[in-house]
Amino acid sequence: MEEINTVEKEPIEYLEGKGITKLTKVATQQKLDRNKNLDYYKDIFYQCGKCGTCRTAYHEEGWARICPSGEFGKFEAYYLGGKNLLAWAVSSETLKWTEKLANIFYQCSLCLACTQQCQIPEIHNFAGEWLMAMREDAVKLGFGPMPEQARYSEHVLKENNPYMEKHADRLNWLPSHIKQTPDAKLAYFVGCTSSYREQGIAIATAEILNSLQVDFKILEEEKCCSSPVYMTGQTEKAKEIAENNVKAYKDAGIEQIITSCAGCYRTWKDTYPNKFGLDHGIEITHLPEFLLKKLSSGELKINNNKTPMKITYHDPCHIGRHMGIYEQPRDVLRRIPGIELIEMDRNRQNAWCCGSGGGVRSAFNELSSFAANERIQEAKETTAEAIVSCCPFCLNQFKNNIKNNKIQALDLSELVKRVI
Amino acid sequence: MISHEIVSELESVVGEKYVSDDPEITYLYHYDFITAEPEGKCDIAIMPNSAEEVQEIIKIANKNRIPVVPWVSGINFGSIATPRRGGIVIDMRRMNRILEVNEDDMYAVLEGGVTWADLKGYLDKHHPNFKAGITWSPPGTGVIPSCLCYGMFDLGMQGGTGAEFVNGIEAVLGSGELVRVGSCSLSNYWYGRQPLPDLTGLFIGWEGTTGVVTKMGIKLWPKLPYRADFLPIAQTVEEGVPLMLKLSKAGLGIIDLCIINLGWAQSLMCLDQNNVANDPVELGLPDFLGLISTQAYTEKQHEAQCEAIRDICNEFNLDPLSVKEQMESFPENLQGLMGHLTPSTGGQTPMQFWGCWNFSRGGGGEWIGSYVSTRNVAKYYNLSREVCIKYNRPPQFYGRLLFGGHYCVARTNINFNKNDPEEIKTARKVLHEIHEAVQELDGVVMYKPPIWAVQYYKDKTIPGTTKLIEDIKKVVDPNNIMNPGQGIGGD
Ligand code: SF4
Ligand code: SF4
Repeated sequence: MEEINTVEKEPIEYLEGKGITKLTKVATQQKLDRNKNLDYYKDIFYQCGKCGTCRTAYHEEGWARICPSGEFGKFEAYYLGGKNLLAWAVSSETLKWTEKLANIFYQCSLCLACTQQCQIPEIHNFAGEWLMAMREDAVKLGFGPMPEQARYSEHVLKENNPYMEKHADRLNWLPSHIKQTPDAKLAYFVGCTSSYREQGIAIATAEILNSLQVDFKILEEEKCCSSPVYMTGQTEKAKEIAENNVKAYKDAGIEQIITSCAGCYRTWKDTYPNKFGLDHGIEITHLPEFLLKKLSSGELKINNNKTPMKITYHDPCHIGRHMGIYEQPRDVLRRIPGIELIEMDRNRQNAWCCGSGGGVRSAFNELSSFAANERIQEAKETTAEAIVSCCPFCLNQFKNNIKNNKIQALDLSELVKRVI
Repeated sequence: MISHEIVSELESVVGEKYVSDDPEITYLYHYDFITAEPEGKCDIAIMPNSAEEVQEIIKIANKNRIPVVPWVSGINFGSIATPRRGGIVIDMRRMNRILEVNEDDMYAVLEGGVTWADLKGYLDKHHPNFKAGITWSPPGTGVIPSCLCYGMFDLGMQGGTGAEFVNGIEAVLGSGELVRVGSCSLSNYWYGRQPLPDLTGLFIGWEGTTGVVTKMGIKLWPKLPYRADFLPIAQTVEEGVPLMLKLSKAGLGIIDLCIINLGWAQSLMCLDQNNVANDPVELGLPDFLGLISTQAYTEKQHEAQCEAIRDICNEFNLDPLSVKEQMESFPENLQGLMGHLTPSTGGQTPMQFWGCWNFSRGGGGEWIGSYVSTRNVAKYYNLSREVCIKYNRPPQFYGRLLFGGHYCVARTNINFNKNDPEEIKTARKVLHEIHEAVQELDGVVMYKPPIWAVQYYKDKTIPGTTKLIEDIKKVVDPNNIMNPGQGIGGD
């Protein structure tokens, strides 16, 4: 009789909880483009069956909740399934655009954790596009952005930052010991949050660049990358800002940009060329990517005499789910002696958002703090001493929400600066 | 009928944040967004956080004679949670706590809004040696509705339908009274329904027309260390069924025994309509896949069980290959067919059953799903298949032998484009025709029946039973506020 392999000699190990890896073989998806308008995606919305799979980490151990908007708002409308079907309703004119509808779509950090769970290929790959397209429509119809977002956007247009600060103060963080090379082809794009709020990141990054003897400069013309304007559906305004930025950097002869901000990185690297059609040809590098390269080549040397530290890593949505960068920052962390990296239950594709993106922090403070506190709690449960990320916006959000100093928040740049 | 005063009164019960009569919120409760059944109307959606709050809501509804529909995900393929007469939808999802797991008596006590993802996640983390029977439904669907509506679990052969997993219930009746049934009615234990009168029947199979279940005790089972999943394949369902019936009477540690046709298996892949075989039989493709899951405590026992299963398959000239081996023999783009269902291939339940409603990328799906004598399961398939083929629909069939093989379930799914009114009309026609065709077989009773099917069964039921159902309904829901217009207990 033919031998059957199902009778294992070793106890059969239950593989439950690891199934998502098997789902790489999902069926063919319809050929769709990104960055289109609502009408383009209208035949996908109703593929959604409101099944709720997008609420929890699919086939992952623990099946943890992953949607800040839904977990806070609770009603179906706040989860991706609800948003898909509301998009279907407005696109088929079953429901009218209202302030409430806009409010629902803006109460979402666009973290895209939901899309990673839905196994309908078109929704999995493209739902982020229509979440944006709904915001664009809200703006066109006068229901968006939210008032606070409109206020900061006006300020971005005037003073080039959303923090109600003066452009003239943008470089106030810059210490005199930082050496810049006026004719450098490489620019460090600092971004608004590091310029005005998390200046430690800017200083650490500039110092790292100096210690590596990299020729770089920071442009006085540096302005908001436009991400906070773009993410709130104000595409036209954002595009204008982007065009000016590209022109300034091209005029300055910049060939490569290093940025320590996840949002700026995503915007320069993806939104500028793919949404705004600005083929700037500038190489965009995120700091961890750059650090990893330098560590691998041996140019960046880590000091061995540092005290041990348990840390956990928070994946910023803008480099994680938006750009697919999960491992580089971890690889950098793993190369630092004494650092013990402990993962939170929700990591990589399933990481819980810090709650600051998508305009949420300015417009929906309660939701934003809810998301941040949930993440901080999760980080604490790992017993880590610090939650490390590589996005100034995440860092600022954590710092503002950590109450009793039981855990500290750090940026990867700050950590690396300490050990070189 | 719904005034601002009522909304304010409800707000004072659960807090402003958890009540809404905004059309953008209530829209998502007015239809199940899957089936071809008509839309309903939700006036107010509300999310209580405790049984006491549910009681208060029911009191307000009684006072104002407003319909109430209990709701967790609203997905059931029979549209039975669609509010037919407007009113309040009580969305239970805030009540999603797992209150207790008793490993000795092997049960868990859950709140009314616990989803399969909640339960599975909790057990995996805190009680890894125990498992619940789990549906092949999406993770966001509710455990308790599934038990109440005779849903089927992946321990179906071992434990029966979801209803048989129920140990006890706490519920708010339509009258507003809080009751407990089972051992929990007089003790802190939720070990079972015996030996008092079994009043769980006041809630099981009533489609939410008697009350709102706020807690339930459900059976858990030990997760044994040895498991195998076989997938014998036969040319036709008729050829495969006798094997499954024989296995159902053989013991052999079998926890799940499913009869699947190729159409249904294809639907698991979310393939495009033009990538699927409408009629695999005509193409000479094998149409029967039999899923046999067995588990054991010791290696020796496991080997003996597997050998016996293999021998029985050989008796029927069917290759008893494992799911993994069968999958590997499939073309690459079809290897996910069944793989994400079984642990031995890295899969697990619950699962997003997207194929079921998304097969043709139209997002609509509905079934004629019935309990049926094991004698008639192959006939059921053939009758429903004929209708599907007539309408050029890929027949998607799946049957499950339950509770040691004492009965089984048989269901045929169809898909349609829910954005196309003509397609919806055709889907309804196909469903009605399948329903009519399978009634030729005695003992076919639909579960989670949509409203149009309910009357059929009411007419068929002997008058004394119908009267008893009506009398009970009047006692537990005197103002007929609970899910009116739905279910066998509805008007
Ligand atoms: S988006 Fe996908 S996972 Fe979420 S409800 Fe819709 S079909 Fe389900
Ligand atoms: S993008 Fe994030 S916040 Fe928005 S619906 Fe998806 S998971 Fe929720």
